[in-house]
Amino acid sequence: MDDAGPPTTRRNLLAGASVAAASGLAGCLEQLWSQAETTGPDQVSLTIKTVPADDDRLAATIASRLRENYEVAGIDATHEPIGEAELYRDLLLEGNYDVFVARHPGLDEPDAFHGLLHSRFVGEQGWQNPFQLADLTIDDALEVQRRADGDRADALDELLDHLLMTTPYTAVAHPHALGGRRDEIDVPSPPERPHEFLDVLSLPDNGPRDGPLVVGVYGEGLTRRLNPITVDQNRIDGLLGLLYDPLARRIDGEYVPWLIDDFEWDENDPLRLRITLRDGLEWHDGESLDAEDVEFTYRFVEDTSLGAVDDGIPAPRFRGRRTLVDAATVVDSRTITLTFTETTPAVARRALTIPILPEHVWTDRSTLLVDRQPEALAHDNDEPVGSGLLEFGEATTDVELELTPVEDHALLSAADRPDVLEAFPRYDGIRFEVAPNPGAMVDALIDGEIDITAGGLPPEYAESIRDADDVSTATGTTDAFYMIGYNAQHSELGHPHVRRICSQLIDREHVVTEFFEGFADPATAPTELVGLRRANWPGDTLDDERASTLLDFPGTAGEVDPRAARSLFREIHYSYEDDALLGSSG
Amino acid sequence: MALLDVLLELTLIVATMLVAATLAIVGPRRIVAAIRDFRWRLEACLLPLAVLAAVLLLRWSTQDVVQRLERRVLENNITPQLSAFDQAMLEPVIVLQSFQTEALTSFFVFIYIYGYAFLLIFPFIAYFALEEMDDLSTLILSFTANYAIGLLFYTLFIAYGPRNLSPELFEGLLYTAFPQSGALTHEINQNTNVFPSLHTSLSMTVFFLAWVTREKYPSWVPVAGFLAISVALSTMYLGIHWFSDVVAGTVLALVSVYIGVNYTVEEIVDGIRTFVASRFQSPKADGE
Repeated sequence: MDDAGPPTTRRNLLAGASVAAASGLAGCLEQLWSQAETTGPDQVSLTIKTVPADDDRLAATIASRLRENYEVAGIDATHEPIGEAELYRDLLLEGNYDVFVARHPGLDEPDAFHGLLHSRFVGEQGWQNPFQLADLTIDDALEVQRRADGDRADALDELLDHLLMTTPYTAVAHPHALGGRRDEIDVPSPPERPHEFLDVLSLPDNGPRDGPLVVGVYGEGLTRRLNPITVDQNRIDGLLGLLYDPLARRIDGEYVPWLIDDFEWDENDPLRLRITLRDGLEWHDGESLDAEDVEFTYRFVEDTSLGAVDDGIPAPRFRGRRTLVDAATVVDSRTITLTFTETTPAVARRALTIPILPEHVWTDRSTLLVDRQPEALAHDNDEPVGSGLLEFGEATTDVELELTPVEDHALLSAADRPDVLEAFPRYDGIRFEVAPNPGAMVDALIDGEIDITAGGLPPEYAESIRDADDVSTATGTTDAFYMIGYNAQHSELGHPHVRRICSQLIDREHVVTEFFEGFADPATAPTELVGLRRANWPGDTLDDERASTLLDFPGTAGEVDPRAARSLFREIHYSYEDDALLGSSG
Repeated sequence: MALLDVLLELTLIVATMLVAATLAIVGPRRIVAAIRDFRWRLEACLLPLAVLAAVLLLRWSTQDVVQRLERRVLENNITPQLSAFDQAMLEPVIVLQSFQTEALTSFFVFIYIYGYAFLLIFPFIAYFALEEMDDLSTLILSFTANYAIGLLFYTLFIAYGPRNLSPELFEGLLYTAFPQSGALTHEINQNTNVFPSLHTSLSMTVFFLAWVTREKYPSWVPVAGFLAISVALSTMYLGIHWFSDVVAGTVLALVSVYIGVNYTVEEIVDGIRTFVASRFQSPKADGE
């Protein structure tokens, strides 16, 4: 009997334990079940993509600060640096991002919004609606401002209002063009655009000198691809524009006839422009440039497969401008008519700035390599044949690239020779010297190995140039701006209110003073907040009232105040749990 | 131009360091003996050297392909994870950079470029001067393993270093203090190859092997140790690598030294040959 006790006890114990375990397990299971059945909203998470500091220190710095600010506001934010070429692929070709920070090359006038925002470009490549946006109000306003019979000012006004309210993207700052120069060389504006390079080569006070003007640039893989119609490779700003001439160039807001000798609007058809090309135009390989090339270019940019693919494969660049042209018709070898889609002459002339391509070189490149990929979009174009005032000399991979002047260019003997070509050329062309980083480029300038730097010098190097002998900084203006863009297909960023608050979470004044060291203007006016400098906006200067919410930074001196940020999100009915912003869906 | 200047300076400084160290650590007698009968010594390590050269050649010749594969096909960007690990480990990079002084920056730039080059080359001289070539073969095989495994990781992962993520939080001290070195580092590497740190792994490999051969060169152990640890610290201080790159580099060094000590190139080549032979012969064997 004595030994009967323990077994009972053990059995009881076991039974008790199993009951407890079972009920405990049941409770546990119940909790698991309820968790599985009702998925509560998760924390909002956003990945901010931008280039590494090697490619653009300022974009990297803005993105880093933006990530911190998002974190303070309760968003699970990740900052992912990605090479410039790959970033453009993700943004412009694949739409694979949540938020991006990038330097936009600039909008010359409001019609440039057409390419950037119109829903017809959803799913297209290039700076063509990278926001995956489909907004009929925007589409409508964009159409009306183009039309001759519409009231452009009203339409633009409406568009601006709508953009500020829905914020598909926001501009942070407009940088100043900044560069360095040897004292003996006059640089009106640190060159980034083709005519700015030509200007330096043509000023009577510069040179003359045997040998090329040596221009410093920095970066990785800059000379690998010289294809003017693609977007997926690093490049030297302005280089391809020097090689390929357009019909007209936009210089300081004016359209300067370039390949055009004369033009005339049709008296009977306000949408038809008759263009006469200059006499004696030649490609760099000696072939003559004629109206056929112009007609070909407008056809090719629209469909690089030249009809091989049903709906056509447009070039990733120039799409917004291309849509202005309905048809190009050759009249004779020097004459061509462009018929525009419904638009005003003021807008239509933008189509004249597309670079003209030689038909005899590019026709064969319409061959499809694989499905929907014509050779033209994959070709490195390593021996570019253009018609510009400078022709391609030679390139040593990633180190040097030389352009030589075309001294018998038709423009040089023209009566209406553009001002920027005054004494062209004072040097034997241009040699680009590629430095591994901006520091090495500045050292090369101070040591006299290069004459000038291209624009885009990071502001923190200005001081070392000012402190050195025989060199100075050069400043100028540019249309470029730093922007934060949102993917409208993202579950939270699809809400305009969320995009608006996300756009408030960066202190623009602070960014300009701290990161740009003053070499920029914060985006504060309504037009600036959508990327247009006030000078590029036709009509009246708009009152600054409308921009006020976007500029209302919830914090001080660049630091977000968590309570202020949270109350912004709470106002639009978002909630927080343990300081984490919860998504609206789920 | 810039690249040649940097190379010339590098050669002069490192050569001076090598001569001094050779005299002090290896000693004149061993050197004279080594030079006198260099022929058999070279022959003894010819095969491992050829394999190392082949791996380096592969690395150099496939740069474009690897970059395309890494950035356009595989697209594994692990920079956010590396940065998060750093945060979890109490921000070693930020802590190191907070001690920043001009002297310390000069020291770490010197270590990162000249100290590193010296650390990698000196063991070749030292082990060449020994009675047997086993240690030299071990060194070469370990280096080969480092490069081969490193190349695999660089293909698999896109990873940017701290200086490239955020210039606001991390300073890219190497290129502000010595921008010309960019010409050299660009030539050798890309800015997406930071995980693991080959600077750390190769330096630590030399240090671990110095420990293995401590009876032959006792005075080399502390020198190698000081330099290797300084190199590892310099990569973080200069904002080039994350803490995780340094940890992974040290692990890679251990693996490489294990391979180098326990295997020989001959064994590995034989092994591959047997494997390939068996693969080719097996269908025939089945048929018979």
